[in-house]
Amino acid sequence: MSDTTQFRVLDFDCPTCASTVERALANTQGVEDVEVHYSTGRVEIEYDDNITDSDTFAQTIENQGYTPQPA
Amino acid sequence: MNKRSITQYYRKHRTAIITATSGLLYAGGWSLGYLTSSEAASSAVLVLATIVGGYDIAKTAYHEVTNRTLGIKTLVTLAAIGAIVIGEYWEAAAVVFLFSLGSYLEGRTMRKTRTALQELLEMTPDTATVRRDGELREVPARDVEEGEVVIVKPGGKIPVDGTVVDGESTVNQAPVTGESAPVHKADSDEVYAGTVNQDGALEVQTTGAGSDTTLERIIRRVEEAQEAQSPTESLIDRFAKYYTPAVIVLAIGAYAVTQNAILSLTLLVIGCPGALVIGPPVSIVSAIGNAARSGVLMKGGEHLERAGKIGLVAFDKTGTLTKGETTVADVAGFDVATDEVLSLATTAEKKSEHHLADAIVDAARERLTAATDGGTTVAQADETVAGYQSIPDPDDFDVVAGKGVIAHADGHEVVVGNRALLDDRDIDIPSTVASYVREREGRGETVVHVVRDGDVIGAIALRDELREAALGVVAVLQDAGIETVMLTGDNERTAAAVAEEVGIDDYRAELLPEDKQSAIEELQTDGHVVAMVGDGINDAPSLATADVGIAMGAAGTDTAIETADMALMADDLERIPYAVKLSKATRWNVLENVGLAVLTVTVLLAGVLTSYVTLASGMLVHEASVLAVIINGMRLLRY
Repeated sequence: MSDTTQFRVLDFDCPTCASTVERALANTQGVEDVEVHYSTGRVEIEYDDNITDSDTFAQTIENQGYTPQPA
Repeated sequence: MNKRSITQYYRKHRTAIITATSGLLYAGGWSLGYLTSSEAASSAVLVLATIVGGYDIAKTAYHEVTNRTLGIKTLVTLAAIGAIVIGEYWEAAAVVFLFSLGSYLEGRTMRKTRTALQELLEMTPDTATVRRDGELREVPARDVEEGEVVIVKPGGKIPVDGTVVDGESTVNQAPVTGESAPVHKADSDEVYAGTVNQDGALEVQTTGAGSDTTLERIIRRVEEAQEAQSPTESLIDRFAKYYTPAVIVLAIGAYAVTQNAILSLTLLVIGCPGALVIGPPVSIVSAIGNAARSGVLMKGGEHLERAGKIGLVAFDKTGTLTKGETTVADVAGFDVATDEVLSLATTAEKKSEHHLADAIVDAARERLTAATDGGTTVAQADETVAGYQSIPDPDDFDVVAGKGVIAHADGHEVVVGNRALLDDRDIDIPSTVASYVREREGRGETVVHVVRDGDVIGAIALRDELREAALGVVAVLQDAGIETVMLTGDNERTAAAVAEEVGIDDYRAELLPEDKQSAIEELQTDGHVVAMVGDGINDAPSLATADVGIAMGAAGTDTAIETADMALMADDLERIPYAVKLSKATRWNVLENVGLAVLTVTVLLAGVLTSYVTLASGMLVHEASVLAVIINGMRLLRY
């Protein structure tokens, strides 16, 4: 089933940082759609919950060097 | 502090701790070199400072490279590694430390912008007192079901959207509408989640809870607006995509030509597209956030940039410059008693739904009494009702759109309407009537004639009061060099009188709704960037045609928000100059930021080519410029 989750990343320090996270999330298996916004720090991910889950995304964002917070 | 809380503390403040450690090591390495002349020890500490400060940057740079989004961290990492390779340990440590410090400060200030809206959401209480199974229960606000009755104590925050079913109070609606004055609420009035109940207890029947409230919807829209890129932003973004790789190529080229490693590494540092890409989004996000807190929804950076160029504001008259509450100002009888005129007009109008008809019926209810002498106040009130109730219903009636109504009652034909309707029916207007009409229209009133069996027996003058704010708003816009025009369906003379009263520059009268749209188009062909202020429903076509459509009183109506570029949550005309000025300030702010960024890069480039600027000083100036544009943009939060 397709599901949607949101995070809030308050420590993006440049627009490219947001694009990097967006690419990394988009390359995660099971992710169908992803939006990352530098200006508001909002991350929205649409994914297949049989393949992946919200914790994986939080880990991916952290791996890129940013702090995800639940939205 | 146990181990777990130390880990948590570290995670939360990681960037600050790393930056501080790298800074201390950097200072230590520098002092060692200065005090002891032990170059090896000093270099070792400086390399350590670079590694501590640079690890996170390099890690993100690695992800940038693998995700093919080359950014500033890639450039900084390359510069730091390069500096170490050529033995410039001091430069390497300085670049990394300054970059970390800059990023940390930028992240902190951006956090303020990003959380500005969250403060609004936190206005909504987490729990609600709801009447369930005959008893009062405290439940999470998001679990309240539609139709359930919530009890709100005096001084409490309202947890849901709903309709008042019991009680009376005043409510501070500032979080939703931006209005500072509290609004009176009684039976069947709407209230919004997040607003503050003041002096009375209210029972509210829920229409929306949790994420389905007006405040939540507004905030979602505001966020979407902040995320939508303005034309300037997307232009810069497209440019930045090629900019970073181009800088790397340039640095390599410079090294190939000059064999000067410091020069080419400095190029990497100053070539970071910092202030340029960060400036415009910060300005726009701050402006939209500020507007939201004042009850103005800006639909996005694109709309904001256009609004910054507004040269002319067109106002719809009824309901925008005026209160939209028409009342009878005067009733005239020509050889007939005024009460008879009003009574006859009421018969003809009582089944009509036009706003002029409503005003006439209301006046009849107020003024017509069965007997005028004696009795107490209470008895008089009863007689008033009796006087109104004795007015007969019409046998039949026809509405002539835009002109009036024709009715039959008691064997008489009654016509109530404007001059056009009387002309259509070849009814003569005696000169006394005509001069009465001219005189009232000269005061900005609208006059209808009352005709019985072909004779004009009276006239009723109706007035729609100006909003108190109208004069001030027009004056403030004019002071700001913006032209003002009023659009109205009224006749020429009434329009001229109202226009003069408000002090508006120009007016267009006798417009049908579709004419308003072409009036806007004409103003645009004259070369103006035109904003149109209207109510969002009747004026939807002209709002859409205008360069910037501004809808008033939009809190409850989604259609108004859809068609408009800006929506005022409250019916508060005074927000117009604020919104227009904020847009202009934002446009300037974006230009300032772009200007500052370009100037910085130019000066730095000149500095590098003349060898005045090296890695560390280049990074210092670069980071300072980024902070400067962020702080400049954030001024708009407090505009």
